[in-house]
Amino acid sequence: MKTKIFQYLFIFTALAFVNPNSFAQETNLKNYKIRFGLSTTKQADNSRILEASYVAANKKDRKDRVPIYDANINFYNVFADEEVLLGTAKTDQEGIAQLIVPANQSYTTNEEGYINFKAVFDGTDGLDYEEAEVAVKDVFLELNLEDIDSVKTVILNAYTLDSLQTKIPLEETEIIFSVGGMLSKMPIKQDNISEGRFEFEFPEHISGDKNGNIDVFASIIDNDEYGNVIQKKNIAWGINKNIITESNQLWSDVAPIWMYVVLSILLIGVWANYAYSIKNLFNIKKEGKELELKSENEN
Amino acid sequence: MANKKTEEGSNNRRNFLRLGLMSSVSAVAGATLISNLTADEVEPSGEKIRVLTPDGKMVEVDAKSINKYPEAVITPTESRKGIPDKKFVMVIDLAKCKNARKCVEGCQKAHKLDDHEEFMKVQLIQNNEEGSPYWFPKPCFHCDEPPCVTVCPTGATFKREDGIVLIDNERCIGCKFCITSCPYSARQFNWGHKEKFEDKSQPYSPETQVPAAEGTVMKCDFCPDMLRQGKLPHCATACPMGVIYFGDKNEDIVTNGSETVSFSQLIKDRGGYRHLEHLGTKPNVYYLPAVNRQFPVERGFDVDEEIIERYKDVPFVKELKEQGKL
Amino acid sequence: MDIIKRKSELVNEFSPMLEKSTKTSKIWVSFLILVILIGLVAFIIQVVNGHIVTGMRDNVVWGIYIINFIFFVCLSYSGAFISGILHFFKSPWKNSVSRIVEIITVLSLIIGPIFILLCIGRLDRLYFLFLYPRIQSPITWDIIAIMTDLLGCFIYLYLTFIPDFAMLRDNSENAPKWRQKMYKILAIKYYDTPTQREALHKITRTMSVMVIALAIVAYSVLAWIFSLTVQPGWNSSIFAPYFIIAGLYSGVSVIIIAMYLIRKFYHLDHYIRKVHFMGAGVILLIISILFGYFTFSEYFSRWFSHKIEDTKLLDTLFNRYFWYFIFANYIGVLVPVFILFFKKFRTIKSITFAAVIAILGLYVNRYLIVVPTLETPYLPIQDTRPEYIHYTATWIEWALSFAGIAAFILFFILIMRLVPIIPMSGIIDYEREQKRKPHASNNH
Ligand code: SF4
Ligand code: SF4
Repeated sequence: MKTKIFQYLFIFTALAFVNPNSFAQETNLKNYKIRFGLSTTKQADNSRILEASYVAANKKDRKDRVPIYDANINFYNVFADEEVLLGTAKTDQEGIAQLIVPANQSYTTNEEGYINFKAVFDGTDGLDYEEAEVAVKDVFLELNLEDIDSVKTVILNAYTLDSLQTKIPLEETEIIFSVGGMLSKMPIKQDNISEGRFEFEFPEHISGDKNGNIDVFASIIDNDEYGNVIQKKNIAWGINKNIITESNQLWSDVAPIWMYVVLSILLIGVWANYAYSIKNLFNIKKEGKELELKSENEN
Repeated sequence: MANKKTEEGSNNRRNFLRLGLMSSVSAVAGATLISNLTADEVEPSGEKIRVLTPDGKMVEVDAKSINKYPEAVITPTESRKGIPDKKFVMVIDLAKCKNARKCVEGCQKAHKLDDHEEFMKVQLIQNNEEGSPYWFPKPCFHCDEPPCVTVCPTGATFKREDGIVLIDNERCIGCKFCITSCPYSARQFNWGHKEKFEDKSQPYSPETQVPAAEGTVMKCDFCPDMLRQGKLPHCATACPMGVIYFGDKNEDIVTNGSETVSFSQLIKDRGGYRHLEHLGTKPNVYYLPAVNRQFPVERGFDVDEEIIERYKDVPFVKELKEQGKL
Repeated sequence: MDIIKRKSELVNEFSPMLEKSTKTSKIWVSFLILVILIGLVAFIIQVVNGHIVTGMRDNVVWGIYIINFIFFVCLSYSGAFISGILHFFKSPWKNSVSRIVEIITVLSLIIGPIFILLCIGRLDRLYFLFLYPRIQSPITWDIIAIMTDLLGCFIYLYLTFIPDFAMLRDNSENAPKWRQKMYKILAIKYYDTPTQREALHKITRTMSVMVIALAIVAYSVLAWIFSLTVQPGWNSSIFAPYFIIAGLYSGVSVIIIAMYLIRKFYHLDHYIRKVHFMGAGVILLIISILFGYFTFSEYFSRWFSHKIEDTKLLDTLFNRYFWYFIFANYIGVLVPVFILFFKKFRTIKSITFAAVIAILGLYVNRYLIVVPTLETPYLPIQDTRPEYIHYTATWIEWALSFAGIAAFILFFILIMRLVPIIPMSGIIDYEREQKRKPHASNNH
């Protein structure tokens, strides 16, 4: 992947001066290769994500990757000698710093129409300066979902603009069409676009959300010239398989009515009987008391 | 400058998580940070992650301290509702399983389980003497007619709208009736006291089952905390073979992380089935039969002695042992 | 009035039983207390260390606690059942045994539920059962049934005690003050007037019917705890009646043993006669045949239809539990049947022996219903820890079980100190009847 220009700039000289006891673990850094990379994604709303990833990878053990956490990364738009700071972000626990540049941001492009992005880590005592660059052309994807003679048709127009704002159709670029899901997108078509246009029939079996709405995506992924570009449209084409949630009163919160009825009848019957017995006991007691009184009076 | 402010970011995230789900996953990076990261500043608790600080120090920090969403804990009451309009389903592709046990380990790590405490178990099943044995990863099936829920006297175990069956261990009285009525032996009991029960650094939620409690029941939970973040359950993420597909039945989409396919199509094409269908429990875990396998079953014996020992009663293993091949 | 005279006569006859404490009885009581204390220690250990001290583990989550629970509760239900029938039909020999039966009923109904409490992981949360009840759970039914039944049995027992308390109140001038006072309160001013007597008879009679009905319901609910699950050895439609018969089997046996012991220690040969043993023996015979029949149909249908899970279960039963199975389902049934079937074998001793065998067999039978089923789940147990594969009860569990039995006997002895074990009022009633129709046979 050439767009993710990884630059490996570092040799760990600074470490030699550090007291080995206080930073026992750092000596290991020699075994690590720092990887610093940049990628960009144009989103459906024309905003752009710039993503820098910053990790140290063990030279011997490929599985051992340590992210650099909480590092400040500056993102620039570069043109000739000019650098426009787009924003700053910190790396997270996966070593990724992400900046979302809003749609209204304008970029300067070079003669061939490329926008140059640069991510920079300024360097500290412990880690050196890092930078990574990526150059992409700004692509426009127009996604149309149409019902043509009751055939659900997906139509994509893709072009770039030259300096005179004329549309130049996209050629021989792989496009992936997918539908949105909760956890990931499901691809429905993957093909090369030519003359800036692609058209296909939308598959029948897609379910969609509970109202049958579907997010349809058209995307260019990891392209050398264009980076990542995503376009999206929502339409109610789903056949809406929404499964009726089963309700069985045995495991639900509320029991079936007949259970309450039977239980109440049983309990009322039994307890009424108890009450009746106890009432009779009191009668017996009352009678006994009267008897006692009588005999006392007689005495 | 579109960089989101720290607080705003975490707040949004919290509300978001409480409401339900992310529709498109765009991570907010750099939110909730701890500015100065050194090993001894972090309260000791559980899992450690190794990171490099900007000063070039390699430190082990507590996972909790850089966990981005500690506030998004779903309380026991909230966890009874479920994620709206979802119906979760898991598909396990037996043809690809080679007993790598990464699902088990991933799950144990995420749920802070000890050795032998396995929500996901990998069994070796041989249906009959002639039958070919296959590896059988077994979580809780989150049945649609869950006998375990029916019999619970306190409602400590419950089934939510999204199909997930959970246990609230603050409600459970430990009668173990649910364990005896689960036909799939999916449930486990905390018999004795363990130190990890005391670790209150993470507030309890039935969705994570951490911290566990003595005298209560626990089991596989389909990781609703991950689902709320739009991520796969830990077992599915951990499996290197992509054996475990997970998704929403309403959407009819399941994914194993690298491949996303239509659930109904997958079941249709590959002859998906549910285990012990005749019991009428209607599991939400489907299996794709172990045909056209990617690995011979013997590949699964590349594990600890102790684990091989578990399968000693399987006829195939007995045979191998007799032939001295194990 | 000769009835009054007869009353004081009877009280004089039975008083020594209430007051004397012989050396043997002292030794017995202290031994029982010791057993209970050991049980208490075991209980404390279990509370402090958790259920890890028991032999129960993830597959066999219910052990002998549950078995004791079923055993005692079934005993109680059968006691209620039998005593209800004795009262309702005014059977001729009710007098000698009815009190024994009633005491057994109440005591085992107190002790049984204690065992289910021992089995619960979080005793501190017991009140959740009432705070968040779920009507669909068989456990909830069981709790309601046990509580209702317990109260009913208490009332019923008390009703049958009242006339005796009254007699004791009127005739114990020499007894210590506290005793006199206690009798006075407990007798609730019962003076055996015709209206009082009639009222008491009436409610005792309805209560006796109630108690029978309750026992049947409670039995069924108890059986349903098992049979409503889908487990191979439990999911059986005959479990409810099977439990009733099994309960009666243990109930009658315990009554016979109690009769034997009481007769022996209190020299009540005059009241508890051979004819009672004969009667009980015949009943035990009938029940043991029924019990054998149920056991047979239960296992026979499992064996014949040989569903795979059932086959696995039977495999376990016939291998690992072979001797248990033989003892519970062959010896425990056939020996009593054999002894009781032939009239010439029926002596007091042999009948008691048959009862002992029946009880032991039945206990093992319960064990075989609970444990092997849990050891053979649908999905094979694949584990290396022996305690997770097979269940063996630990000393804690045994200590508590024996403490339960000891408590049962101890309370029995204590209650016998309170009221005579032979209801004196029954004797009076009986004699009254006799006088009214002097030609009736005299085989009391
Ligand atoms: S597999 Fe067992 S624990 Fe899970 S829902 Fe089904 S019955 Fe309940
Ligand atoms: S052990 Fe807990 S969750 Fe299971 S049935 Fe009992 S109270 Fe419910």
